[in-house]
Amino acid sequence: MTDEIIRTQNLKKSFGQLEVLKGISTTIRRGEVVSIIGPSGGGKSTFLRCLNLLEQPTGGKVFFKGQDITDKKLNTCKFRQSMGMVFQNFNVFPNMTVLDNVTLAPILEKKLPKAQAREEALVLLRRVGLAEKANEYPRKLSGGQKQRLAIVRALAMQPEVMLFDEPTSALDPEMVKEVLNVIMDLTRSGMTILIVTHEMAFAREVSDRVLFICDGVIKEEGSPDQIFTCPHDPSTIKFLSMVL
Amino acid sequence: MEKIVGLLEKYYMVYLQGLWGTLWISAVTVFCGTLLGLLIAALRMSRSKLLNSFAGAYIEVLRGTPILLQLYFFWIGLPKLLPFELSDTMCIVVALVINASAYISEIIRAGINAVDKGQWEAARSVGLSEVHMMTHVIMPQAVKNILPALCNEFITTVKGTSLASVFFVGELMTSYKSVQAATFLALQSLTIVGVIYFLLNFILSRLLRLLERRLTASD
Repeated sequence: MTDEIIRTQNLKKSFGQLEVLKGISTTIRRGEVVSIIGPSGGGKSTFLRCLNLLEQPTGGKVFFKGQDITDKKLNTCKFRQSMGMVFQNFNVFPNMTVLDNVTLAPILEKKLPKAQAREEALVLLRRVGLAEKANEYPRKLSGGQKQRLAIVRALAMQPEVMLFDEPTSALDPEMVKEVLNVIMDLTRSGMTILIVTHEMAFAREVSDRVLFICDGVIKEEGSPDQIFTCPHDPSTIKFLSMVL
Repeated sequence: MEKIVGLLEKYYMVYLQGLWGTLWISAVTVFCGTLLGLLIAALRMSRSKLLNSFAGAYIEVLRGTPILLQLYFFWIGLPKLLPFELSDTMCIVVALVINASAYISEIIRAGINAVDKGQWEAARSVGLSEVHMMTHVIMPQAVKNILPALCNEFITTVKGTSLASVFFVGELMTSYKSVQAATFLALQSLTIVGVIYFLLNFILSRLLRLLERRLTASD
């Protein structure tokens, strides 16, 4: 258990009367790549958003490196800096250039000197093929480029975990690959990654473990081979028969 | 027309003084009204129920009563409330600022709410503090949404300062009254003052449109 990085314990989340998460317990190890699959409305995204407190859990506990993050005394901003997130709709900041998108948080919150932040940002941008766009505004980028920018923006804070919430669902088909390639590179770098995705082939290829979340609980979890070739739970079987 | 020229020749100082009064009262009202409006908007959006409902009541009362009534209220009430001397002009300016703040706060709130929810989440997810999120991500985008409505409000504010003439506070409309009383030339004096108001607001709206264009350059 020494390499545990995230542990949830009977995690619950309700929106008013609607209970979206009904008690999720799992442990994520450092460096692990975990795909989360399941039907829409099953709680996948909510689960991910509870991990960095974009949603406040209404029950249970979430531990990050042994610390309970539902504790009111936690410095939420500091904690979020060690957990990057990439959204379905990119959410790049339209009011600043590509480069400023990346350097904003490192300069403001990590107090990095401007020159150093820019240098590091350019290295990251180069890695995803966006260096020549550094001084453009996001409106000039394609969807795929915006998503790569969003990934770089998260990486610039040097997080220990990256959360991906359906990162390719809003992309035109021809742009899905360029984004998946960036994520694939990241999986090889030893980063801890949780990814909610509908790209089953991708999940199968890159994951160490797959969680099938449905009706607010983990119905089944296991290695990609096990989940995709011989699922046990009836709901997993039904879901996979519909998407594969 | 000759009479207008005659009035201008003889009383241009009175009009200039009036213009100056209108200018500084408008500037103070717009500036302080915006600051106070920001504060009220912040209270209105705060999680505290108490602050939230205070701001809500503040806005409803100020929007639900005539501005002239509010001016009278502050003109009579404020000197009684405060331990120190306050000139008529200051009472009126305070009333104008408070009135403007109610409208401006609602404009600001609407502008902030119109910023995509994803922007808040993205700002939080990279670990920005709430203050940095507002100053660097949300407000710059909100200002763009707000500007047209704010321009309207500023023009309304400039015109609203004319009500100060009821209390003989030095501004353009008061100049009209002074000249009219001395010469009995009402229409001519009104025309002069009207043209000045129009030019003032015309210039103001052009300036704000220029600003709007610069701010929207990025999208």
